[in-house]
Amino acid sequence: MAYIRKRNRRIFMTFLLPAMLVLFLTTIYPMLYAGYLSFRSYDLAKPFVPRMFVGWANYQQVLTSGDFLNALSITFQLMVITLSIQLVVGVGLALLVTQRLPGMGVARTLLLIPMMISPVIVGLVWLFLYFPELGYLNYFLSFVGIDPIPWITSPNWALWAIAIADIWQWTPFIMMGTAAALTSLSPEPYEAARIDGNTRWQVFRHVTLPQLKPVLVSLLFLRAIDAFKIYDIIFVLTKGGPGDSTEVLSLYIYRQSFTFWQMGVGAAASFVSLIIIVVLITLFFKSLNRDQTA
Amino acid sequence: MNKPSTQQAIFVYTLLGIALIVFLTPIYLIASSSVKPSPIMFQRPPAMLFEPTFEHYRDLFAMRPFGKFIMNSLVVALGSTAFSVFFGSIAAYAISRIKHKRMNDIAFWILSMRMFPPIAVVVPYYIIFKTAGLLDTPLALIIVYSTANIPLTVWLMKGFFDEVPSALEEAAAVDGHGLISIFWRVTLPLAAPGLAVSAVFCFIFSWNEFLFALMLTGSEAQTATVAVMSFWSSDAVQWGRIMAGSFVILIPGVVFVLTCQRWLVRGLTMGSVK
Repeated sequence: MAYIRKRNRRIFMTFLLPAMLVLFLTTIYPMLYAGYLSFRSYDLAKPFVPRMFVGWANYQQVLTSGDFLNALSITFQLMVITLSIQLVVGVGLALLVTQRLPGMGVARTLLLIPMMISPVIVGLVWLFLYFPELGYLNYFLSFVGIDPIPWITSPNWALWAIAIADIWQWTPFIMMGTAAALTSLSPEPYEAARIDGNTRWQVFRHVTLPQLKPVLVSLLFLRAIDAFKIYDIIFVLTKGGPGDSTEVLSLYIYRQSFTFWQMGVGAAASFVSLIIIVVLITLFFKSLNRDQTA
Repeated sequence: MNKPSTQQAIFVYTLLGIALIVFLTPIYLIASSSVKPSPIMFQRPPAMLFEPTFEHYRDLFAMRPFGKFIMNSLVVALGSTAFSVFFGSIAAYAISRIKHKRMNDIAFWILSMRMFPPIAVVVPYYIIFKTAGLLDTPLALIIVYSTANIPLTVWLMKGFFDEVPSALEEAAAVDGHGLISIFWRVTLPLAAPGLAVSAVFCFIFSWNEFLFALMLTGSEAQTATVAVMSFWSSDAVQWGRIMAGSFVILIPGVVFVLTCQRWLVRGLTMGSVK
C-alpha cells in the first residue's frame, strides 16, 4: 500500500482537489461575501444607492434590537423543548424495539418513515391537523377530554405546535441511533447486574445509560445543529407568527433580507448565527473523539 | 438480555402500538385525503370507507403544470446526485488512502460543511446567482445542493473504501495497473453498494429541499416542494390538491426507508454510533 501511495501522490491530490474547490466556492466564498456585506449598507430596494461601508453599524443594530434577541431566545426555547422530549421518547422507543420479540424489526422500520419526509410536507400535514375549526387533532383530543386548543392562532400555543411537528419527525432519529447503540452493547454487565437482583430500572439507570451516554451526547449535538437551522416547518405552519411568537433566527434573517431588503443587516445576523453553529459543530466533533478514547 | 415474559410482551406491544398510531396517522391522512372527495375532507368522524376519487390528482396535473415541477425536481436531484457522487467518491478515495495527519482535519472540514445553516448563505447565493444570471435555473440548485451532498458522499464512501482490503489493490499494482485503473476496476466495484447508498441519500436530500428552492427559483425552475405550497392561499386552501402533491413528493423517501433502512444509521448519525 505504501508503494501505491508514494507513486501516486499527484493523482490522489487531483482526486481530492475538485471536491474541496467546489466546497470552498459554495460555502467559504459565500460566507466571506456575507462577511463583506455585513459591514455595508446594502438595501436591495434601492439598487442605485452605493453600498457604503458602515463599520459595525449592522452588528450594532442586530445585537441591540429586541427582534434579534427575541429570535435567538425562541430558537433556544424550541431547541430545549424538542431535544428533551425527543431524547426521552426516542430512548424509550429504542428500548421497546430492541426487545427480543417477533415483529420488532417491522415496527422499527415503520417508525423511521417520518425522518425521510420533506419538512415542507411535514409542515403541511400538521397544518392540516392543526387547522382552525377543521383540523382533526382537536377532534382526536376531545376523546381524552381535552378542550379545543388554538394551535397556530394563539401566541401561547404556536411554538408548541411547531415543537410537536418537529418531535414527530425527529424522535425516530434518536430511536434509530439509540437502538443501534443498544444492540452493540456487550451483554455481560447485564447478566451480572440481573444476577445481583437489581430491578429493570436499576439495570437501565446504572448499566445501560452510562454505556449509552457518549452516543446520546453526539446524537443530541446533531439534533441541536439541526434545531438551530429549523426553517421549513415554521415557514409552513406560522411564518413566525402570531406576532413574533415563533420567529426563530432563520426566519428573522429571511425577513430582514427578503421582506425589508436589508441585506447588510441580514448578513450580520447570519454571521452571528454562524459563530453559534461553529461552536455546536466543534462540540459535536469533540464528542465523537471522546468516545473514541473512552 | 432475556426473552421477555408474556406480561412484558403485552406491555411492549401496547406501547409500540400507540407509537405506531401516533407516527403513522399523519402519513395515512396524506394518503387518504389525497383521494377523498372535498365535501367529506373534514367530516367527523373521519370517513374511513368512501369511494376514492382521483379528481385532486387530475386537478394537480391539469390546473397547474405540476408535471413540469416534478420534472424540475428530478433534473435538479439527479444532476446534483451525479455531480456529488462523482466528485465526492474520488475525494473520499484520496482521503481513505493518504495516510497523513492533516487528512483527518480535511475530512472533518468537509463533513462540517454539511452542517452549516443554509439561511446564512442564502443572501450571498441570491446576489451571486442574480449577478451570474443563474437565478431560476436548475443549475443554481444543482450547485447549491452539492454543498450538502458532496460532504455526505465523502463521509459515506470513505467508510466503504476503508473496508476494501489493500491486498487486492497491491496485487493489481504488481500486475502493472496504474492507480486510476486500480480504482476503476478493483476498488470501485467492491464499493458499489456505497455508491448506491450515497446516490439515494443525495437524491432524497435534493428532492425534499425547500428553502433554497424557494429563494432561488421562480416560475421556470420551481421544484415540486415549492409548487405544492402554492395551493395554499388565505381565502381557499385546496387541501385535496395539497395532499395529492404531498403524497407524490413523499413517495421516494418512504420507499427509501422501507428498502434501505439499515443504511440510515450510517448516513444520518455522522459517526455518533460506532
